[in-house]
Amino acid sequence: MLGLLLLRPEEALHGREIARRTGLPAGTVTRELTKLAEVGLLHRERRGNQQVYRANTRSPVFSELAGILRKTSGLADVLAQALAPVAPKLRAAFIFGSIAQGRESAGSDVDLILIGDLGFAQAVELLHAAQATLGREVNPKVFTASEFTSKVATGAFLRDVLAKPKIFLIGSDHDLAELAGRQP
Amino acid sequence: MTLQNLLGVSLDAIAPDKALVAKLLAAAERNISDAQLDALSTENRFDAAYKAILQLATVALHANGYRTLTSRPGHHQTAIQTLPLTVGLPQAKVIVLDALRKQRNLSDYSGDLVPISAATECLLSAKDLLAHVRAWLKTHKPELT
Repeated sequence: MLGLLLLRPEEALHGREIARRTGLPAGTVTRELTKLAEVGLLHRERRGNQQVYRANTRSPVFSELAGILRKTSGLADVLAQALAPVAPKLRAAFIFGSIAQGRESAGSDVDLILIGDLGFAQAVELLHAAQATLGREVNPKVFTASEFTSKVATGAFLRDVLAKPKIFLIGSDHDLAELAGRQP
Repeated sequence: MTLQNLLGVSLDAIAPDKALVAKLLAAAERNISDAQLDALSTENRFDAAYKAILQLATVALHANGYRTLTSRPGHHQTAIQTLPLTVGLPQAKVIVLDALRKQRNLSDYSGDLVPISAATECLLSAKDLLAHVRAWLKTHKPELT
């Protein structure tokens, strides 16, 4: 919830929208939003007959807190934003490896698989700035859809990736199953 | 960072040698041509092109009177990241070369497979670096060519 609001300080959302996007119960969301507004982290305003909330960028801890979120729970968000310019060309994009499995250490890189019509150099260029934001190296593997399908069929590496936890930036398990040539 | 202040840290001073420059350039060309052999796996085409990049980065250091201290970890990184200092390679290209170096680490030490996109870029980057290093030598160190 904090990630949603603090990493998009320009966006004002109402409680139901926040509940929908985070998948949390509306009651919990309302309670937490009230508390966060009381301590000054969120700014509350009335829009029509709705209360909307957005990050209070003037809070003395806003920038530090947003920084922490960007490096932890906001990691996928930062990467998805970096890839936004080429999102229409990508069938799927996801984090795999230690970070996706929640067993990362301070020095862990972000392992990324991108599937679509994109060059390696372009991927590196797009993701370069995110490395500084995240304080981690980002290693993209870029496959075309047909290469991905054929390498799932022939090699252990991608089958292992498919079997383990992933964090999706673009697409879903369903898209991946389709690409892998199996029924979801 | 200057090359001078990396001396003893990650670099060693040497006397440039025309014969060694020629040998390394020939080796890089051989690797670039091997990187185009269709019969090879993507991984080995990538490796050949990566080897050419490293040999060209070594030429670049050598022509300036340096070599990497191979006894220290990270000598590939040093050779690649000093390219703006040795032959004035634009930083944007170094970023891509450095990403290729990381791909190579992952495939060598973790058994990761190499996507065609990485092998294609590795070959393109190697060809580009060969042309860049040749042109730089001709202009700045004609005595070594």
